[in-house]
Amino acid sequence: MKFLLKQMENIKPLFMPGGKLEKLYPLFEAQDTFLFTPAETTRHAPHIRGALDTKRMMITVVIALIPPFLFGMFNAGQQYHYVNQIPDMGWLDHLWRGAGIVLPIVLVSYVVGGTLEVLFSIIRRHDINEGFLVTGLLFPLTLPPTIPLWQVAAGIAFGVVIGKEIFGGTGFNVLNPALTARAFLFFAYPNEISGDGIWSVVKDPENVVEGFTGATPLGAAAVAPRGVNIVEYLSEQGFEWWTMAVGLTGGSIGETAFFACLIGAVILIVSGVGSWRIMAGCVIGLFIGSTLLNRLPAETYSSFTQLPFHYHLVYGGFAFGAVYMATDPVSAAATAKGKWIYGVLIGILVIIIRVANPAFPGGVMLAILFMNVMAPVIDHYVLQAHIRTRRKKAREESLTYVQTQER
Amino acid sequence: MELISLAVRTIFIENIVLAYFLGMCSFLACSKKIETATGLGLAVICVLGLTVPFNWFIQHYFLTEGAMAWTGIPVLATLDLSFLNLISFIAVIACTVQVVEMILDRYVPALYHSLGIFLPLITVNCSILGGSLFMVERQYDFSEAAVYGVAAGSGFALAIISISAIRKKIRYSDIPPGLQGLGMTMILTGLMSMAFMCFAGIDL
Repeated sequence: MKFLLKQMENIKPLFMPGGKLEKLYPLFEAQDTFLFTPAETTRHAPHIRGALDTKRMMITVVIALIPPFLFGMFNAGQQYHYVNQIPDMGWLDHLWRGAGIVLPIVLVSYVVGGTLEVLFSIIRRHDINEGFLVTGLLFPLTLPPTIPLWQVAAGIAFGVVIGKEIFGGTGFNVLNPALTARAFLFFAYPNEISGDGIWSVVKDPENVVEGFTGATPLGAAAVAPRGVNIVEYLSEQGFEWWTMAVGLTGGSIGETAFFACLIGAVILIVSGVGSWRIMAGCVIGLFIGSTLLNRLPAETYSSFTQLPFHYHLVYGGFAFGAVYMATDPVSAAATAKGKWIYGVLIGILVIIIRVANPAFPGGVMLAILFMNVMAPVIDHYVLQAHIRTRRKKAREESLTYVQTQER
Repeated sequence: MELISLAVRTIFIENIVLAYFLGMCSFLACSKKIETATGLGLAVICVLGLTVPFNWFIQHYFLTEGAMAWTGIPVLATLDLSFLNLISFIAVIACTVQVVEMILDRYVPALYHSLGIFLPLITVNCSILGGSLFMVERQYDFSEAAVYGVAAGSGFALAIISISAIRKKIRYSDIPPGLQGLGMTMILTGLMSMAFMCFAGIDL
């Protein structure tokens, strides 16, 4: 450690104003604060003592992302072997195959996004932030394993530049950059990101065995004929509650596994990094939405409306979105009450988009993006209401004070 | 049920600002402060909610071919005055805006002054005229026209209030000098309409 510190001190003058590599200071700063606690303190009030800076915060999120990431790799491999009818594969083979599918996507996302981030921080002279490590991992996990790599690059470039950097970098953005990237791909290249045939890599498209298209549970539920019992229909298609909760179904890389996201949720809540209010709000909203829809007469509306709450919970990207996307502290609502409202509205919107919109069965990402837009409004009104109650209270207190004085 | 569906579709899916990009000038210029934006949003709801049904009335009883059959005069009964659509719509809108302006000046002078030139400019706000023209094009009946007017105005209000809250939030952002102000607002509008696209295709 001492040796490292010495090395850093030695090369520091190079990067300081007047040094040869002055322009590359953000790179040095990123390395320096990655290794050591920064020596600088804030100059103006408010001062807060705490070990939790953005770096530790973002790294916690990255750690929390590891379970869905690993499971996503495993599942991609498992789906590959299943769809291509390759028998007798152990879990290590699945993982190995999945790594071959998933790692290039993650790598492209990190390299392209990271380069743009560094470029911007050098030109705009702000610090490189670990927030990118989160964005660069979140984004690939929301993509199907079959996504072409150039689209990954285009998406992450859009997300990092338009979603974040033009606002001035981490902390200043309005929308979640990973979601912006995902939504951009969604609307720009709908063929590669939605539909039935894209969720697992097919080795030889000509010779796929009939019936192994690898549809997602959401896709299956959306086309369920009117009037059938949706739960029985799904289990006929091979989608039991348990298989969906464990996550061995087709879907985006990181989002199929409910339990893996649950582990991440525990990490985020215990460490205090993710807001439990938002997560709880999402679940409550989902419950309200699905219960209301279950009340609709089954004969006149599509059988998707009859899907019970616990199915919606483990379905598609809901858990992933609620745990990792909705809780992004920058783009979510900031006030405590606002977080509840924000979460509940996300849950309700997810149900609406899922059920009423045949075009986008995976509505979670879009619902969160929409609520990102609405979050500042929610905060504004929560704050105004707070100010009003406090003012009223203060007025009453001063009134009672005057009265006691008079007595 | 039909009317609720129409209202939801008009506010969220076919949002007059974020899906049709109508009424951009006041949307961009009056969204610096939330209070102003709220005021303008309410004014637009009011004007659209009054003018669309009123224009429907004029169009159906005076302007379309055979609309004046109710007068009983044979010459008028076959008359087609639909070429007067635009000019009479504008006249109605101008009158309504005048009334709204007077009411605001009398009762909410602070808002009246903060809206400034953009209040009389509602007259030529494309979203207002657009509302009436869409009403003609889509052949709404009277109740639909009334609901459509209020809902289109609400969509405008929703969009302008949310962008003003966002602009308040990014006031401290480190935006490149070239993009500050309007440039950033344009990009925000684009991002917002992308977010609103989550409703596109919803089938109510």
